[in-house]
Amino acid sequence: MSRSIASRVLAPSIGAGLGRTRWVWLGVVAAALLVWPLFVEEVFFTYIATVVLLYTIGTASLHLVLRIGHLSLCHAAFMGLGGYTSALLTTRLGWPFVPAFLMSALVPAAVALIVGPIVLRLRGVYFVLITFTFGEVVRLVFNDWQSLTGGADGIFRIPPPHPLLADKRAYYYFALVMAALCVGLVARLLASQTGRYVDAIREGERLAQSSGVPVLRFKVVIFCIACGLVGLQGSLLAHYIHFIAPGSYTFNESLNLLVMNVIGGMANLAGPLVGAVFLTALPELLRGWVELQRFLYGVVLIVVMLFVPGGLLEIGKRTAAVVRASRAPRP
Amino acid sequence: MSVLLDVQRLAKRFGALQAIEQFDVQVEAGEILGLIGPNGAGKTTAINLISGVIRPDSGRVTFEGEDVTGMRPDRLVRRGVVRTFQATTVYQERTVRENVRRGAFTTIYPGLWSTFWGTRAARVAAERADTAIAELLAWLGLGDVADVEARHLPYGHQKVLGLGIALAARPRLAMLDEPAAGLSHDEASHVADVVRRINSQGVSVIVVDHNMRFIANLCHRIVVLHHGAELAMGTPQEVTSDPRVIEAYLGTQH
Repeated sequence: MSRSIASRVLAPSIGAGLGRTRWVWLGVVAAALLVWPLFVEEVFFTYIATVVLLYTIGTASLHLVLRIGHLSLCHAAFMGLGGYTSALLTTRLGWPFVPAFLMSALVPAAVALIVGPIVLRLRGVYFVLITFTFGEVVRLVFNDWQSLTGGADGIFRIPPPHPLLADKRAYYYFALVMAALCVGLVARLLASQTGRYVDAIREGERLAQSSGVPVLRFKVVIFCIACGLVGLQGSLLAHYIHFIAPGSYTFNESLNLLVMNVIGGMANLAGPLVGAVFLTALPELLRGWVELQRFLYGVVLIVVMLFVPGGLLEIGKRTAAVVRASRAPRP
Repeated sequence: MSVLLDVQRLAKRFGALQAIEQFDVQVEAGEILGLIGPNGAGKTTAINLISGVIRPDSGRVTFEGEDVTGMRPDRLVRRGVVRTFQATTVYQERTVRENVRRGAFTTIYPGLWSTFWGTRAARVAAERADTAIAELLAWLGLGDVADVEARHLPYGHQKVLGLGIALAARPRLAMLDEPAAGLSHDEASHVADVVRRINSQGVSVIVVDHNMRFIANLCHRIVVLHHGAELAMGTPQEVTSDPRVIEAYLGTQH
């Protein structure tokens, strides 16, 4: 089931390049992201924006996994592996941030390299279920290996990457650069020849293999890259919030990343970015109305899945098309 | 002529069903070999075994003198053996050109690292591939529809495009699983023409089908499969006049 949904949603309109318009948009967005904190004093907004930026790393990397045709429900576990790696190395072993940060990508990627060749042979619901199980196993390890991880209490006083980055606004810019690098890496990967064969694998695995594409190797490599990237998010969040616990990496969190992808749209990389903005910012802004929040979340999810399988991005595109059509001179 | 592909005593059992039993076949360089038999005779299984989609229980497959038994399809492609499928033959949502470009993986993909950085080698490979693909499309008569999505093509053209994808890997042996299934008589004879032209470029071909007329017109030699074993082998004339074949196979139709 999951596979058919994924392929149905992902199939259309990936190649529709926007050319110059896209670069203009990218410039506008980049300028806005750089400038707005200078005008907004409220720390709360800077905080939300930073979290959103960090989440784009996770959603973009999960987008990679979706693009090879797999719905992973253990992405938060890899985020946790990154978070714990960097938190433990800095607090227990006194490592500087930079090497710990690098390890926070390498450790989840290495775990993905071990797990990937086994689980990526499975298709559809079987992959979904095994990743769900694996995610829970990892969370239980965080929870129960108390001597190492501090158990359910988690790890406190995780230092900022650099004393200067204790400032919220400074961290925002740091997160902006990191998110740009990570999302840029995903974008470049998908735009390259490799992206072509990633799509070929999702759309016709047997066909791709008969053309010489080493399907499993491709999947494993992409999976490792995705898990390494989300590990970076784990590290960046840990050093931002200064605290991690097993509760931060539950199944719910994996589902969240997936929902962000679905809501935003799975057809191209812009979708998970929109989804990250929407689903990270909305709950934070609606904090006062927790009950309403859950309700809205559910309604939006159902509406999108039922009526716009292309996600928020498709709503935007359709609206733009309607506007353009109404502006166009009538013959 | 030299033997390109040598299959010896291939066998495969699915549970209680002996799908393929002691199957021997040799493909000579430059020939079109037909593999025919009623539904369930084991034709597709035979192709799946040779192309490494499934592993045989026993037997040996040699290609150009090297043992390739059970070798994965993507590795076999690099040695020069491609196959097509009955059902999923093209990427529906993609243009004809993109379909063929995907087929050319082994010739144009220089590896993740160089494609990521867009190295000169990667760009040169891509440009060279674009020219080769345009030539191939023109040669297949698909040049005019190069930028049309595959799903908008008539079914017969989709089948030809499927052959184009296989051909883009520059094979020396192409195994075609029912290339004319579901086609009208005219479309089928167009596909047969394309297969002959592919063959005239020096590509040996194995064609699987259950339509005796299609196979007999196209192939130099025919192997008839029945219940997973070889029933008869020979030229189209020999096979179509073989009483066992008529009884077991044609008898059901006439």
